[in-house]
Amino acid sequence: MRLRLSLVTICLLFVTFAIGQNKLPNVALKSLNSKTVNIANYNNSSKPVIVSFWATWCGPCIKELEAIKSRYAQWQKDYGVELVAISIDDSKTISRVKPMVTSKGWKYEVLLDTNQELKRALNVVNVPYTMILYKGKVMFTHSNYTPGIENKIEQELNKISKK
Amino acid sequence: MKKIILSATLLTSSFFYAQVRVGIESNNQYYLDDDKIKIEENEAEDRFRSNTYIKVDYFKNKWEFGTQIESYYPKAIINYSPDLQDANIGTIYARYNDIDNGINITLGHFYEQFGSGLILRSWEDRALGINNALFGVNAKLRLTKNLDLTALTGKQRIGMGFDLSESYVMGSNLEFNAADALKFENIDFRFGASYVGRLDEHKETGYAGVNDLISAFSGRFNLGIGGFNFGTEYVHKQKDIVIANEDYVDGTFLDGNALLVNLGYNKGNFGSSVNLRRMENMSFYSERKLAGNQYNKSIINYIPALTKQYDFSLQNIYVYQAQGGINWFEKRNGEIGGQYDFYYDFVEGTALGGKYGTHLAVNGSYWGGLKSTYDFANNKLEDEFLKLGEKYYSDIAVEIRKNWTSNFQTITMYMNQYYNAPVLEGKFDEVKTDIVSVEGLYNFSETSSVRLQLQNMWASADKGDWGAALLEFVPNTMFSIYVTDMYNYGNTHPESRIHYYSVGGSFSKGATRIAVNYGRQRGGLMCVGGVCRYVPESNGFTLNLTTNF
Repeated sequence: MRLRLSLVTICLLFVTFAIGQNKLPNVALKSLNSKTVNIANYNNSSKPVIVSFWATWCGPCIKELEAIKSRYAQWQKDYGVELVAISIDDSKTISRVKPMVTSKGWKYEVLLDTNQELKRALNVVNVPYTMILYKGKVMFTHSNYTPGIENKIEQELNKISKK
Repeated sequence: MKKIILSATLLTSSFFYAQVRVGIESNNQYYLDDDKIKIEENEAEDRFRSNTYIKVDYFKNKWEFGTQIESYYPKAIINYSPDLQDANIGTIYARYNDIDNGINITLGHFYEQFGSGLILRSWEDRALGINNALFGVNAKLRLTKNLDLTALTGKQRIGMGFDLSESYVMGSNLEFNAADALKFENIDFRFGASYVGRLDEHKETGYAGVNDLISAFSGRFNLGIGGFNFGTEYVHKQKDIVIANEDYVDGTFLDGNALLVNLGYNKGNFGSSVNLRRMENMSFYSERKLAGNQYNKSIINYIPALTKQYDFSLQNIYVYQAQGGINWFEKRNGEIGGQYDFYYDFVEGTALGGKYGTHLAVNGSYWGGLKSTYDFANNKLEDEFLKLGEKYYSDIAVEIRKNWTSNFQTITMYMNQYYNAPVLEGKFDEVKTDIVSVEGLYNFSETSSVRLQLQNMWASADKGDWGAALLEFVPNTMFSIYVTDMYNYGNTHPESRIHYYSVGGSFSKGATRIAVNYGRQRGGLMCVGGVCRYVPESNGFTLNLTTNF
């Protein structure tokens, strides 16, 4: 009995930990037009969601978001994907976020993580840090920028679309 | 029976959403001396240094529990605060977070920011060795749909997790979304107000007139209509005894204030922003005597230098640090100035945009001291409101990013700088620089590329001219290797001309990244977000690991 009980406990622990392992936590962030968004709402999306941590001072981040820009319209059409760009700029650089996003014509949903609440909750250390979520599960993670990563992301989106 | 229990287990656990998250970061350094660079003798006993952070958080329904274990063993990397030693709890908390009803209460260590942080910000920056989390209670409540209240109190972390300040920090913050309350569509109109107090009952009997409680108040608003946005924030800090060289200046009291104005216009391919700021005696510490300490301990508020955070290495040799505090002996108080940024995108298919587009960024800044007069008879320092005193820093930079073909892009940048090294670093001469940087990135195939960076800096004084080069090869999305050198070829002392070379590589897969590096590191200020830490020159191996699951 004791064995069975501990077995069940272990199962319970394991299952409890495993389920929802990848879900986005409840963290409220402000969008560029000051609307409050709970990032966990993206867990309910039936389409793939790309979450990309970036900053205006991060050269590789800008390269990554620029590389995705030229593909984005097509990805939205083909996979229904939405890209959520989480800026970790703090008050030193935050006033550059809007000018940069506007002038570069990024059509992403930009959210501000000014005091790194979401970054901390997801244990993100360096930017860029990019995840693809599908129905609340992380399907793909990349923890720095390497040129051509947009091709890899497209492959992953393609894989997901066949599921 | 077993099956039933198992399926019941499965069902209940999927019903109750729960998860554990673990994040690990480990930065390791092995210092080696060579003919030019040696670490100080008192540091040389421990050549291997390691800073490791293990963070575990448990989420279940509306509850969150977590801790961060930190280890600085055998010792912290050189020039981190000596308070950071051995392995211990860094932070620990329990939180009830009912986001739908707007209730978020934390017990234990927490991070918080009011407004832009000018009045209060607690945060973590491991690269700088900053963790000024507060340990106490933080309650965030949504009073109505448009009105949010935060109330907090606690002691501040100044060393390891339970090395706390003697004083209590308490604060409250109100945020009101007026646009939403008034049902303004497409208009951003918000107000905020904050209070922060520091209660330090640690009596200083030798000095008259020192208050136990020092309070600061702030108010702010933001307005955005169409492409325009305007925001301002004002902070007033109560009169407090002046600190100089970690000691009280008897009978000398000053209040502090800060005024920040942000303007922006963004439309189409054009983006712009202007920030203006004036500050007087705005450094605010949870322990008075830690004012100006080199490890950034016990900071209550965040006073970043409002200058651009540049990308290229030579652009980061003369970095401005905000002069928000007071230097009583030199009779300097605060700073005044501003910065501007313009962005313009020449789209694909236009004359300047070419086939693949061109992006232009122009920015600059000017910072100086306040114009002050000192009244010897009454031991008083008076600052004029809008007059500029001595110039501390200025810069202007132009950056052009261009995609030439579908697989070749460049970044070209010119920057001009003025750096008042006598005031900012106590050196002899002020420094004027011109810096030219170019970078080319060529993609061989879908995921392999090579990147070359070349830079030169002409500097009028200090260590003179510098050159730098970097070559990086990325064979696929997992690996990257690089080699780099910075050479101080213009140093007037030929024996001090040093090559800061290094080679390294990184491997990343999923959320894991491992980076190794061998070579020399230039000494000087290492700055993140306008807060800086002094790092000594060194030579050796580094190994950095980050992962989460």
